Amino acid sequence: MIETILTIVLAIISLMAAVYAVLTKKTLNAIIASGIISLLASIMFLLVSAPDVAMTEAAIGSGLTTVVFLYALKHIKDRRSTHDD
Amino acid sequence: MDSITAIIFNTAFYVLMAAMALAFVRFIKGPTSADRVVAFDIMTIAGISVIVFISVIAQRVIYLDVAMVYALLSFLGVIAVARYLEGGL
Repeated sequence: MIETILTIVLAIISLMAAVYAVLTKKTLNAIIASGIISLLASIMFLLVSAPDVAMTEAAIGSGLTTVVFLYALKHIKDRRSTHDD
Repeated sequence: MDSITAIIFNTAFYVLMAAMALAFVRFIKGPTSADRVVAFDIMTIAGISVIVFISVIAQRVIYLDVAMVYALLSFLGVIAVARYLEGGL
């Protein structure tokens, strides 16, 4: 019963975060939204009793993807500002 | 599980879900990017607690490892975003 309610809440929040990531203007907000989606996907993997997949998703999605995305965004902005000069 | 313990457990679980939803509302509304980062941090901590609750419900100790890995790695994203907002990285 309580797992069903948790699954519904997680699904609704995940869907809204995905819509927000698509519709937002700033790229930084989209990156944070992708982190939220990764967190919720990790909990959902755990709910369907796949702890190894959840652990991998937690390590990759939370640790690696956000840092790599931010690094790429910083370099893109640096290059764009030097080209504008 | 004892009946009083079950009531406390269920109430804590619902409050945790409400905390996650309210933090997400702040994420949607937040005017600046710093608000969104703090909301993301709150959702991360609530998610770690949810994982521990799922471990209690499913009666499996191995789920606690997932919570530990997430708690050890989740600070990285927040620190990266904070460093980006500062201008470094």
